[in-house]
Parts: sequence; structure tokens; C-alpha cells
Amino acid sequence: MVRGLLLLASLWAAFILLACQKKQAASAQPSNAEIEGEWLYDNNCGECHENPQPDLHKQPPSLHGLFRRGSLPSGAPATAAQIRTTIIEGRGTMPAFDQRLREEDIDNLLTYLRTLN
Amino acid sequence: MKSRFALTSVILLLTLSVSCNRTRKYPLQGEVVAKNAATSEITVNHGDIPGFMAAMAMPYRVKDPAVIQELEPGDKIAAEVVVGKDPSDYWLEDVRITDESGRGKVKPPTAPQMLMPGERVPDFTLVNQDGRKIRLSDFAGKALLVTFIYTRCPMPKFCPRLSSQFARIHNELKKNPEDYGKTHLLTISFDPKYDTPAVLRKYGLAYLDGDEGGFSQWDFASTNPTDLRRLAKAFGLEYEEEQNQITHSMSIVLIAPNGTVAKFWSTNWTWTELLENLQHAAQAIGQRGK
Repeated sequence: MVRGLLLLASLWAAFILLACQKKQAASAQPSNAEIEGEWLYDNNCGECHENPQPDLHKQPPSLHGLFRRGSLPSGAPATAAQIRTTIIEGRGTMPAFDQRLREEDIDNLLTYLRTLN
Repeated sequence: MKSRFALTSVILLLTLSVSCNRTRKYPLQGEVVAKNAATSEITVNHGDIPGFMAAMAMPYRVKDPAVIQELEPGDKIAAEVVVGKDPSDYWLEDVRITDESGRGKVKPPTAPQMLMPGERVPDFTLVNQDGRKIRLSDFAGKALLVTFIYTRCPMPKFCPRLSSQFARIHNELKKNPEDYGKTHLLTISFDPKYDTPAVLRKYGLAYLDGDEGGFSQWDFASTNPTDLRRLAKAFGLEYEEEQNQITHSMSIVLIAPNGTVAKFWSTNWTWTELLENLQHAAQAIGQRGK
């Protein structure tokens, strides 16, 4: 009976271990959209949104967990359409990225923003 | 029946093509100050062209190369400025010489140079966030702090910093009504294609925390590309547009109440230093009056 339980526990542990490895392997290989999105984020957004900016009139908010929270720093719902509009038109002291980022760039940025937690 | 349908279609198509290719025309009168046959351009010193351009000297393309051959600097001309569907595309048509007695007597315009402290600032006309024309000379008698930005600038150490620090200066000035009346802030965009009065208004309100009354103390303005180049040169600003991104230097200029340059700053400045200099220049107004 005890031997049977031990065997069951070992099998369960092996299963968990395998599952974790699989998950790690999946997260270690981001999609092309994520890679592109991260690059665009670092070069267009990160300088303000990742670093404190004491010289600026308003502190740019963190963009981590936008989709998890479900709302943007402005209080608007965190939808792809809303974020796209904010990127293109700017908001408050955030500059507009109109004519500077292509549609596919914004798609890739959105994909990356979903992974930022 | 068939032929009537065909005729109607042709008329409809013609009407559509005319309306799609519509251009606007404005009468121009002025004096040729330079000509460049290679680029088919003449520089004309002209009076106000209502609805299109304030009085100034600027280059215009002439469509017919034969016309360029006939023109000489010093000629007084009348012509039509034709503005295409894209407002940045304009040229001269129907150019007529009205007086050629001044031919050869005009000197080509010299390239403007950066002003030195103490030198008088030439008058420039700009259009502000309300779409209203303002002149630098409107602020004579006040200490005027001028800087240059473009609203889409994504570099936090450049335009966002300049506007943020100007906002701090504005908030400090508000605390002292005497300083407020003797000073003025002016932010000039070097991206007039994108920074329309409406865009500048929205941008300005973000730095004024939504207080429209703040525009009476702080204007956000721009002007046509030709005058911007002259203004930038005079104030030591460098800028170059490449694929919707503008590479630029920084320039902050303090203009004294008498309309001369008091001081320049580029990279090495703090908002408190700018404020102190602005207040100092403003205090001189009261002292002179006593």
C-alpha cells in the first residue's frame, strides 16, 4: 500500500517537473511579435515609462500589468483600440507617435505589452 | 437614350476630376530679389497675401522656364500664387512685370546670422494656439523667454523637459502678480506641418494643467518654414527633419524689454536659473520707470 502511494507520488512529481520544464521552454522562446514589440518598447516607450523622470511635468506611469488590471492609468479600459489611439494621438504630455510607428509596429507593441506584468 | 447617358457620365467624371484636383489662387504683388534658373525659382519680396502668407521675402517656383529667363532681380511683378491640394505645393502662374525700372538695383538677401547678446531681435510674425497672429514686437516692454520644441518629440531630455521646465517657471511667476505682468513665455514649434494651432493648443493645455487662462502668459506658436529657418538661425537653433523625426539642438533666448537679446542657453541650464534671469530682466522695467 505504502509502496503504491510512493510510486503514485513519484509519478505525480515527475509529471509536475515535466510540465514546468515545458512551460519554461515555452516562455524562453518569445514570438517574433514579442521580440519586435520589446525592441520598439525599449526604443520608443521605455526611456520614459521605465525610468523616473524628475524633470518632467508629469511622471509617465508604469505600463506593467495594463491588461491584467483591465484599465489604463487614465482610467480608460485597457483595450487594444484604446491603447492604439493613445499611442497615435498621445495623451496629456505624452507625445503623439502619429506617422512614426506603423500599424504592424503598434500590433507588435500591443503583443509585448500583454506580456509585461 | 444611350448617348445622353454617356454624355451625363462624361460630365460627371469631368466634374469629379475638377473637384479632386482643385487648386486655390491668390494674387501676389512684389519685387524679385533673386532668381535661380536651375531650380526654376524666384525669391519675391511681397506684401500680405490674405489667406495665404504674411508679407515677406520667400522663394516661389515658376512653372514656365521661359518666364524665369525674362525676369531679373529688381523687377516689380504681379502674379497668381497657385496652391495645390497639398498646401505645401505652391507655385506662380501668370507672372507679369509691372515695372522694370529697378532692374539690377537690388542686392540679393544675405543669409541671416545668429544674434549676439545686446543685438536687436528682428520682428517675426507667428500664429499662436488660438490661430491668432502674434509678433515678437507685441511683447516689447516685457521680459520674454523663448524656446523651441516640436510636440511629437519623444526624447524626455529635450522638448518634454523644456516644456516641463517652462511650466515650473510659469507656476512660479503666477505666485507673484508683479512678475506675471512684466514677463511672457513663448514656445515655438519647428514642426509647423504637424503642429497646427489646434495641436499646439492641446499640447499647451497639458502643460498648463488645463488652465486656458495660462495662454495669456504663455503662447505656443509656429510659422511658415521660411520664417522658421530665419528665426532658428537668429536664435542659434539647428533642426533637421528625417522621416517624421526631427533632430534638433536646444535654444532658450531671453529677450529684454527693449527688444534686444539678453542671454542664450543651449544645454547647460536649470529652470531656477532661467527664472532668476527672467525676473531680473523684468525688474529692470520698474527701475527704469522710477
